[in-house]
Amino acid sequence: MTTLLHPPITATQAAARTVDATKVYGRGQTEVRALDGVTIEFAQGQFTAIMGPSGCGKSTLLHCLAGLDDLTSGHAFIGDADLSALNDNELTLLRRERIGFVFQSYNLIPTLTALENIRLPLRLAGETGDTDWISTVIDTLGLTERTAHHPAEMSGGQQQRVAVARALATRPRIIFADEPTGNLDSKAGAEVLAFMRRAVDDMKQTIVMVTHDPNAASYADRIVFLADGRIVDEMEHPTAVRVLERMKRFGE
Amino acid sequence: MFATALSSLLAHKLRMLAVATAVLLGVAFMAGTLVLTDTVGRTFDNLFGDVYKNTDVVVRAKAAFDGPTAMGAQRGRVDAAALAAVRAVPGVREAQGNVLGYARLIAKDGHALGHPSNGAPALGGDWTVSTRLNPYTLAAGSPPTAADDVVIDRKSARDGDLQVGSVTTVLVQGPPMKVRVSGIATFGSTDSPGGATVVLFRSDVAQRVIAAPGTFDQIAVAADRDVSSSQLASRVRAVIPSTAEAVTGAAVTKETQDAMAVAFSFFTTFMLVFALIALLVGAFMIFNTFSITVAQRTRENGLLRALGATRRQVLAAVLLEALIIGVLASVAGLFVGLGVAVGLKGLLGLIGFDIPASGVVFTLKTVLVSVLVGVAVTCAAALSPARKAGRVPPIAAMQAGNTGVAVSSSRRRVVVGTILTAGGVATLMTGLFSSVGKPVTVVGVGALLVLFGVSVLGPTVARPLSRIIGAPLARLRGVTGDLARENAMRNPRRTAATSAALMIGVALVGFITIFVASAKASLNDTIDRAFTGDIVVNTGAGMSGGVDPAFARGLTTLPEIAAASGVRQSLALVAGDAAIVTAADPKQAFQILDIKPLSGSPDQLGVDAIAVHKDTAARLHVRVGDVLPVVFKDTGPKSMRIAMIYGEIQPARTYFMSMAAYDANFSNRYDTMVFVKKAATADAAAALQAVKQAAAAYPGVDVLDRAGFKTDQSKPFNQMLTLVYALLGLAILIALLGIANTLALSVFERTHEIGLLRAVGMTRAQLRASLRWESAIIALQGTALGLVIGIFFGWALVRASSSLGITTFALPVPSLGVIVVLAALAGMVAAIGPARRAARLNVLKAIVST
Ligand SMILES: Nc1ncnc2c1ncn2[C@@H]1O[C@H](COP(=O)(O)OP(=O)(O)OP(=O)(O)O)[C@@H](O)[C@H]1O
Ligand SMILES: [Mg+2]
Repeated sequence: MTTLLHPPITATQAAARTVDATKVYGRGQTEVRALDGVTIEFAQGQFTAIMGPSGCGKSTLLHCLAGLDDLTSGHAFIGDADLSALNDNELTLLRRERIGFVFQSYNLIPTLTALENIRLPLRLAGETGDTDWISTVIDTLGLTERTAHHPAEMSGGQQQRVAVARALATRPRIIFADEPTGNLDSKAGAEVLAFMRRAVDDMKQTIVMVTHDPNAASYADRIVFLADGRIVDEMEHPTAVRVLERMKRFGE
Repeated sequence: MFATALSSLLAHKLRMLAVATAVLLGVAFMAGTLVLTDTVGRTFDNLFGDVYKNTDVVVRAKAAFDGPTAMGAQRGRVDAAALAAVRAVPGVREAQGNVLGYARLIAKDGHALGHPSNGAPALGGDWTVSTRLNPYTLAAGSPPTAADDVVIDRKSARDGDLQVGSVTTVLVQGPPMKVRVSGIATFGSTDSPGGATVVLFRSDVAQRVIAAPGTFDQIAVAADRDVSSSQLASRVRAVIPSTAEAVTGAAVTKETQDAMAVAFSFFTTFMLVFALIALLVGAFMIFNTFSITVAQRTRENGLLRALGATRRQVLAAVLLEALIIGVLASVAGLFVGLGVAVGLKGLLGLIGFDIPASGVVFTLKTVLVSVLVGVAVTCAAALSPARKAGRVPPIAAMQAGNTGVAVSSSRRRVVVGTILTAGGVATLMTGLFSSVGKPVTVVGVGALLVLFGVSVLGPTVARPLSRIIGAPLARLRGVTGDLARENAMRNPRRTAATSAALMIGVALVGFITIFVASAKASLNDTIDRAFTGDIVVNTGAGMSGGVDPAFARGLTTLPEIAAASGVRQSLALVAGDAAIVTAADPKQAFQILDIKPLSGSPDQLGVDAIAVHKDTAARLHVRVGDVLPVVFKDTGPKSMRIAMIYGEIQPARTYFMSMAAYDANFSNRYDTMVFVKKAATADAAAALQAVKQAAAAYPGVDVLDRAGFKTDQSKPFNQMLTLVYALLGLAILIALLGIANTLALSVFERTHEIGLLRAVGMTRAQLRASLRWESAIIALQGTALGLVIGIFFGWALVRASSSLGITTFALPVPSLGVIVVLAALAGMVAAIGPARRAARLNVLKAIVST
């Protein structure tokens, strides 16, 4: 799979990065700078959490990195691919093959079973994918019993795990998760987070996750703090306590 | 409530526009038909009232019997001697004898004008000297003075490129006649009466070549100023033979007007049926659209209820919405209907029925009927969704909007659907196979019940049916096919209601296709079975005329020909029923036709003998040797002995007699068709050539070999098929509009899902394809059900039509296959709009919406 779109990467290369990413909504009086010159790298095999107050631009950053939205100025890269240079079709293929996405809720297609949902990106690409890998993912996520179920027949936590499994199924270069545990109780949330952690540790997955929850953030290798569309702080090897302290300090 | 209804209408402009279009099309078609009917009625009323305004009394033979509705009373002719007696009656200002019959005018380029076998008649008659009594007015030239002078109608002159002074041929009784056009006439304000071709001879010539010497079809009388027409009629009555009658001109005019109205009412009924079909299909679409919008507005309606709106108020708001659409669309449809009327008029012109242009008649009745029907259909279709809206509990305001997956098929639905379907089948069969009053209505009601029954069952079968239809798709097209199938299955009620509209259209298309194919197959089988000859000469004159019998006699003398027999058909009253009697020369005919004698012998077919088809013989409980009472229009009541009973319904139909018997009882001398068998030694091509040469004297006559004969005979069926297809096209168009509408509403509902699919890597092309496939599944579902029903309808009608000679049930698999493919394609075309909109959705915004 070495194409113009997906050049081979070297170990040091970032899975995704932005250069001076700026996103402006509206114009004049109503203008909102959701992202204001964000330059950041997400290293291969790392679990990054993005935190910050509501409306600071976390989702916007994720969307622009995932090719769901375009920047007003600046650049976003997945590997070497500059997203601003791609058309809708190329972006779609990129999302399908190189990116996994987990939203806060309603992640699944209601008419498809869990397994079908997991295999959806692969089937859209007309591929069967790595069946052993998918079994491993399903096993690890504890979804073996649930593969034939429809989303309506599953709990919220199970649904989110299926969404994570789908994101992993294609072995994407990077997974973006926007408050994946925001709608779950702490136990279900912990399960999902633990799994994401294992995906990074065992499967060398790269994950970028937006969260408001210090506990959730503590699963990450690194935390990036955003405020008013700018990066204001970073923290390596966080713990819940340290994150909480940091948040108190900034009066969030 | 009015404000709520209005704002909701505005909020769903596009959806409601589609609904309105469906109503509009149906109403326009109906209004167009009504306007045209009124226009034609008024035009002909004026026309006949005008041209006969100076005819006070008409003398004619008493009706011998009543023919079928379309043909009216059958009567003979009056003795020409009566004319002198009538003229002598005091108070008679003028009296003229008229004849009216068959004459086929040949155009300048040699083709025969008009289509008397299936269109306006080819008329021949006399030029009435008295301008007061003559319905025609000379537009150019002069009245016929020489024996070979004719006046022709202006339409024929135009169509045939004939001018005053042109020399051409007219096929009349006896040998073809060379004539000179002495004048060109109009009929009142029109070029020709209802598009007929008219050739008018000098009176004595007309008697000879059109009627029979010494007879008139009628005597027209103008009264002196001081006598009333009824007074004069009773005076005239005293001097005419008892076989004749004298009636007032007004009464005859009324008769003619009524006959025109009856003839046209067939057309009106026919067209109204299609208008109602279109409205029925539209009703499904209205029902569906309202059901979906009501479901999508569950929260909104819950909120209204929570804020204090009563059930009835919520229900009324939805109904009011339907009412507004119904009224607006119906009124618009009414005006579009004026255009439709003009179009239909043109269509009629194409099939030879010319309607003089004299504006359009727009009656209050048309307005009321069209608007009422349009509004009633809209409101009735919206009633059930409206009630559903009323039943929404206030708590629904607090619940998340449901995207509506799965509707359980209730037991009641299955029971009601099954009862309706079974009842429909039973009614249909009763109408077809047992003798009930108004069988057409009974059959229609039965068919309607079947369609409704299956529609009620629809949601129950929609899920498995979508699964089956979508199975190959899922296999061949991967996820896009899979998703299409799942989506078609997810709301069976919606899928069923959407496809039901198409089902109706396809059922009717399938039915007519099968019926016509069966009729053609039966015809070919009959020709194969019963026609043992080689060549057929078809005059295309229908029952009204044909060629000189001398033509057939001449053929028998040719060395290439073994046998040739002319065939004639006329109406007679046999055993109390008006029926077509076929005649041929038994000696010649039974060498060429095998009508399968079962008992008796053709040798016994003398002047007072008749042969009867076996089914009719069984119905009348008669055998060879029995005597049947027969009334002929020319010779009156006779007793005919049954000489033979035969088994083949075509071409002899129910009664057959020898040419000698025919000549003894009918005054006309025409062969409608001539069947020919070549000599055993003769070459087929040479024989055909010989017959063609002999037929050259009779322009406009078709000389056909066996294959050509089959093609020629199936031509009317093909024409009918084309016409019905065109008319059903409207219903199908509305059904497709319905599919597009449902799909658009579904896309709206699934916005979030579509965003999700796009986010995880579905390309725009894949999304569009998926919706197209979904649409195709829905369309195919309607097609599949429609075909099943259509095949059943076709089978039932074929089985019930054996007395018409339709005995072979044919399943035209290629044609039906084409219908299936076209339906799938049409479904995909219907998906283009919604698919494009879905593909254009902004991924992010779509995901955010729930
Ligand atoms: N489509 C849009 N149009 C206009 N403004 C927008 C749009 N989307 C986001 N914004 C604005 O951009 C800013 C950043 O929004 P974003 O959704 O990225 O915040 P967030 O950090 O994800 O917040 P939260 O934690 O509440 O999800 C906010 O001020 C928001 O109001
Ligand atoms: Mg956010």
